[in-house]
Amino acid sequence: MNVLRHNLLRQAVRVSSPRIVTPVRTFSRTHIRHEAPSEPHFSEPKPIPESPSFYTTRAVYYDQLSQLEKTISSADYFLRKNHLLPLPDFARASLPELHPMWKDPSEMASEFKTKMTMTRYRRVTHCLNQINDFQRIAQVGGCPELAQKLQDILSMYESSKKEAYLNKGKRRIATLDEYGRSYTLGKRKTSSARVWMIPVKTTTTDPSPESLLGVEGKQRFPVTPSTILVNNLSLHEFFRFPQDREKITRPLKVAGVLGKYNVFAIVRGGGTTGQSGALAHGIAKGIVAHEPALETMFRRAKLTRRDPRMVERKKTGLAKARKRYTWVKR
Amino acid sequence: MSVLKPWLNVARCSSRMTVLTSGTQLRSQSTTTEHRLQTPEDWLAFRKEREERKGLMDLFGQYGSTTNAENTFRIRDGLGKPQAHATTSALLAAGAHFGHASTRMNPNFVPYAYGTRAGITIIDLDHSVPLLRRAANLTRAVARAGGIIVFIGTRPDLKPIVHKASERMGKQGYHVGDRWLPGTLSNRRNFFGAEVDNHRMIPDLVVFLNPVQNTIAINECAAEHVPTIGVIDSNVDPRLVMYPIPANDENTRTAELIAGVLSIAGREGVALRDQDLAAEARHRQKNDRIRKLSSKSESRN
Repeated sequence: MNVLRHNLLRQAVRVSSPRIVTPVRTFSRTHIRHEAPSEPHFSEPKPIPESPSFYTTRAVYYDQLSQLEKTISSADYFLRKNHLLPLPDFARASLPELHPMWKDPSEMASEFKTKMTMTRYRRVTHCLNQINDFQRIAQVGGCPELAQKLQDILSMYESSKKEAYLNKGKRRIATLDEYGRSYTLGKRKTSSARVWMIPVKTTTTDPSPESLLGVEGKQRFPVTPSTILVNNLSLHEFFRFPQDREKITRPLKVAGVLGKYNVFAIVRGGGTTGQSGALAHGIAKGIVAHEPALETMFRRAKLTRRDPRMVERKKTGLAKARKRYTWVKR
Repeated sequence: MSVLKPWLNVARCSSRMTVLTSGTQLRSQSTTTEHRLQTPEDWLAFRKEREERKGLMDLFGQYGSTTNAENTFRIRDGLGKPQAHATTSALLAAGAHFGHASTRMNPNFVPYAYGTRAGITIIDLDHSVPLLRRAANLTRAVARAGGIIVFIGTRPDLKPIVHKASERMGKQGYHVGDRWLPGTLSNRRNFFGAEVDNHRMIPDLVVFLNPVQNTIAINECAAEHVPTIGVIDSNVDPRLVMYPIPANDENTRTAELIAGVLSIAGREGVALRDQDLAAEARHRQKNDRIRKLSSKSESRN
């Protein structure tokens, strides 16, 4: 056993002095036998492992977990000292919603240098959720330094896909480009319409003869003529049927902006009904892009709704999607 | 929602009508009259009010009972501040003398058993205290010599105990709070790779707070000639570990007490080691000076 071995280094370099120095048994100076015995100088004492959880064979994981637990206890103490914990119900109800999104186990495996089983992952996320809760309380309750420190810790474990995940399902807001044009997409059945809308430039009109003479009659609102081009053809050329034209101009009429915008559209796919419906959809979205205040009204009027009705497939044993063959008694 | 339909707020007071529209979240409404905290000023006011209330309580607390948290009886925090010396009364208070069922008593444990009562073996603390002291002396000596000491306690309630014990010992203390992976010592090259050659990693002493659940670790220690200390209960053969401490292995307080005594002894050993190293360094410096002077005088001559 190591305990019984004397300190050979000390004996070798003992300097002549009257006082006898008792050799202190030190493990760190133990000479490793199988190394070159001819060497006059003994090898430097080998270092011991740094992490106290070395013998768990998952030092990084256990050390980080203990760090998180220490953070929780110190944050808890700090919040209690600042009269923010324990939080009564009404105060807790006033806190904003939490949307934590931690790294998934495969991402965390590289962080913790160990395979993240569900037990380990749950332990870590439990701690992180606790710290997240404290961070929210600290931020809202007026302890910005603690909130910042906790956020720094949490940011190490937050998923990079958080933004993408939170924005999933949210509608992309259409914006105007540098010329003030909106570009929107409308769809109906199998048709799609790409719609560009730009407000009509109102030039200063010449004073009318009535206003010059001073005999103005009824107040007239200046109506600017606007152009609607579909696949480089005018509206009445492309859509021969008045019903289609009605459908297309409906969003403009509802918003009251019939002559306000010039519309240029490219429609592809489907037939007349689909293309006119797609164009109407695109125009409605374009109007909302130019005038966001009308968004709720358009939603109520179901103008910005992409009509989900598509042609139903034909089924086996039936003549068409729903039509059955003539029933025969025998 | 309340912005668009303000009249709904009125209806919300009565629990009968709950309008669930898409986007609203059903939260249980508290019936207290305190309003919600919306602005940062609201939060500051909330904290200030609490602080004032606490100040008032503290002020008037002087005029009531004189018993306070400082002078009232408090149970000793065995985890944070354990006692340094093992005493029979402390072990008794911690319930260390309760063994397992007498039917399960290991025949090799008989020397450490006081007797039987209520179907369980009572452990003789007159044996436990000197053995615990012996283990503490051993820990101190190993720590003084610069040895690695590992505390193993693989139950959830033992985890913070071994953690704290290893912290007390500083660099020389290590802990295993969760499962000891078989092969940590016997298959160390697989687990640790190159570190095995570059570091000194065989422990010099291992302390088991629940040896029955860690027989694999005990086997590995025996194979590597590592001395072991263990808390031995009445159903266990004391020869399992090198330095048995007969006591209750299921009790958290007992584990806190024993781990505390051993880790404090270890801490003392570490401090003594620092002293020894400092004395050695001073001695070496003195010798170097003497040698330099003697070599100078030789060259002059």
